[in-house]
Amino acid sequence: MARERVSQADEWQAWAQRYDIEGGIRTFESGLTVKVFVGALFVGLLMMPGSIYLSYVSGESGAGAAPWVAVILFTELARRSFTTARRQELYMLLGLTGAAVGSGMQYRSFIWYAYFINTPQAASYEIADKIPAWVVPAGDSVGVLTRSLLHPDWLLPIGVYLVGKLLGTLRSVSAQYILFRLTADLERLPYPMAPITAQGATALAETTGKEETWRWRVFSIGSMAGLVWGFLYIGVPSLTGVMMSTPIQILKIPWIDFTQSIEGFAPTGVFALRTDFGQMLFGFVLPFPIVMTEFIAAMATQFVLNPQILYRFEILHQWKPGLDVRAVGLYNGLDFWMSAGMGKSFSFAIVGMAASIPMLFKMRRSKKTAGERGSFAPPPNRGDFPIWLMGLLWLVGMGGFVWLIHWMVPNFPLSFLLGFAFLYTPLNSYITARTFGVLGRDLFDIPYLHEITFILSRYEEVDIWFAPLPDEDYGRGTQSWRVLELTGTTFTSNLAGTLLIMPILIVSGIVVLHFIWKIAPIPSAQYPYAQMMWPINATNECLWKTSLRDGNSQMLQAIRGDYVAAGFTGSLAIYGMLWYFKLPSMWFYGIVGGIGADPGSMIARLLGAVIGRFYMIKRFGMKRWYMFNPVLAAGFACGVGLIGMGTVAIALVSKAVIVKPF
Amino acid sequence: MERVAGFIIIVGTILWLFSVIVLEGRWQWQMFSALVLTIGIFCAHFWEELRDTDSSKD
Repeated sequence: MARERVSQADEWQAWAQRYDIEGGIRTFESGLTVKVFVGALFVGLLMMPGSIYLSYVSGESGAGAAPWVAVILFTELARRSFTTARRQELYMLLGLTGAAVGSGMQYRSFIWYAYFINTPQAASYEIADKIPAWVVPAGDSVGVLTRSLLHPDWLLPIGVYLVGKLLGTLRSVSAQYILFRLTADLERLPYPMAPITAQGATALAETTGKEETWRWRVFSIGSMAGLVWGFLYIGVPSLTGVMMSTPIQILKIPWIDFTQSIEGFAPTGVFALRTDFGQMLFGFVLPFPIVMTEFIAAMATQFVLNPQILYRFEILHQWKPGLDVRAVGLYNGLDFWMSAGMGKSFSFAIVGMAASIPMLFKMRRSKKTAGERGSFAPPPNRGDFPIWLMGLLWLVGMGGFVWLIHWMVPNFPLSFLLGFAFLYTPLNSYITARTFGVLGRDLFDIPYLHEITFILSRYEEVDIWFAPLPDEDYGRGTQSWRVLELTGTTFTSNLAGTLLIMPILIVSGIVVLHFIWKIAPIPSAQYPYAQMMWPINATNECLWKTSLRDGNSQMLQAIRGDYVAAGFTGSLAIYGMLWYFKLPSMWFYGIVGGIGADPGSMIARLLGAVIGRFYMIKRFGMKRWYMFNPVLAAGFACGVGLIGMGTVAIALVSKAVIVKPF
Repeated sequence: MERVAGFIIIVGTILWLFSVIVLEGRWQWQMFSALVLTIGIFCAHFWEELRDTDSSKD
């Protein structure tokens, strides 16, 4: 029997509908109240230190749990006070707490560059002394050597960051709003993934009503699983790290490396089992075909393509026995996969355009016949802003940003900055807003845009690599405005909450990060993830930042036209073949994403996907399982976050008071 | 249109395999194959998206 052809848009929307279990609402209320604001600030700031600490210990910040903790506390308080919590309040609480808990992470680059400037890699690649003062103070400055972010040496980097943040807020709020009005109001695009986000707040708002629903039970099951896993994975190493110089890790963080074990039959292959089994929850949520095809493609790469073809034909030529996953990954990348990866990314752009451009034509046609779209009038009481004001704010924000970059790198051609700011950014953002509106995801991305720009501009100084460029994408953010609309939260209350909390977070974030840095050097044995990853990241950063400097750098030599073309054309051929044989386009993203990747990093996700597909769906039924999924994942994140925060708080306190004699 | 798109895609894929196996993977030939494949994929999507509108008009 011939297989029926399904268009890509229909295929993706069918998946999105599995998660969409309720429609939008039409009345709007403010979500910002004093109790919401204080609650978000309290929980957010309480969890921020643990979140920063966790990111250096395990690579995961656990910040996703904080908003849920705030919401649970809020709903429990409401229940005990015999009142109800509105979904607008809970959604607002989720957003504000997320911003509060993540506020420390915004300064992470300061700690990174304070480490990077004194690495042997930065010295040997001769860029340590060329890092601009607006990025990090000099390597031998007091602010860096004494690990103090509050030292006057940091005034310039922090000042530049703050000006950039202010201008960035102006740009993103105004541009996202304009694009939302164009795509959601004028063109009535459906934004299929937005209801998923809205469901979280709904789940917990229901618990303050008279009846307790399934959502609360599922959330609790997820939380308990998260508590157990969090204790084993994060709690034990953190608590033993307080008492011992080398913490006990029940499961090695972040992976168990089998690369040397497989080199006998699969030379140049990598296999490092990622031990974060919390990834199983992502396997539950992600579409099964993507997880499966990704794993198969990764296995085929590491056990067939790498050892049997690329190694035999001496394309992978730097490999030698006895290397670990990081070294093999680096050499394989330099020999082939970095170039092929560039090609793969370009193919995503072509496939994205091929899918979205015909969609524009279709919408234009159907608009004429349907006659429903085309009204620019917003719904009443939504809290809208004048479009002209938003346009003016964007112009001011973008103009100021271009001026700031020009001040940072005065010799970089201004025409490139203006082109990015006023041509590329609006176009790129509009395309992304549309693809989010139809498919719920981004399809359009031009890879290595910065590198291409630097080559075209013939600018050879290293400082440009440290400067931001005005090539932005506001399209992704339009979805959050749609979530506001679905939860019935007024736009003005959301904006007011964001602006009110921002100054508090700017100050508190920097103080907390300063304290964590003071406790121990980052990276060090106390921060195993940073200790494992940062040296290799420093090498990679050096390779990139020197790639265009002298024309014969390792990175530039690593990028070979024939390998880029192989990655690009091979990926297009895979897409074409899938289309020809009427196979799901989703497979393309799995296969191309998996080619060249380490299958060991996917085991947990695969396990989750298999359990979900072959047990959970049979047990609960498709509809119920997809209703449970997001709530279960939120509960698990909450459980891991809670245990992480608890143990990390103990570790932080003990490290702050114990003075070691050595 | 569906058959035309399928034919172009098959030609592009064969061209690519030929350029890798016989022509030592020269980037010029590979990129030519990519051009053919891109045309095929665009044809495929235009046909896919516009077929309902076309058929309703008919």
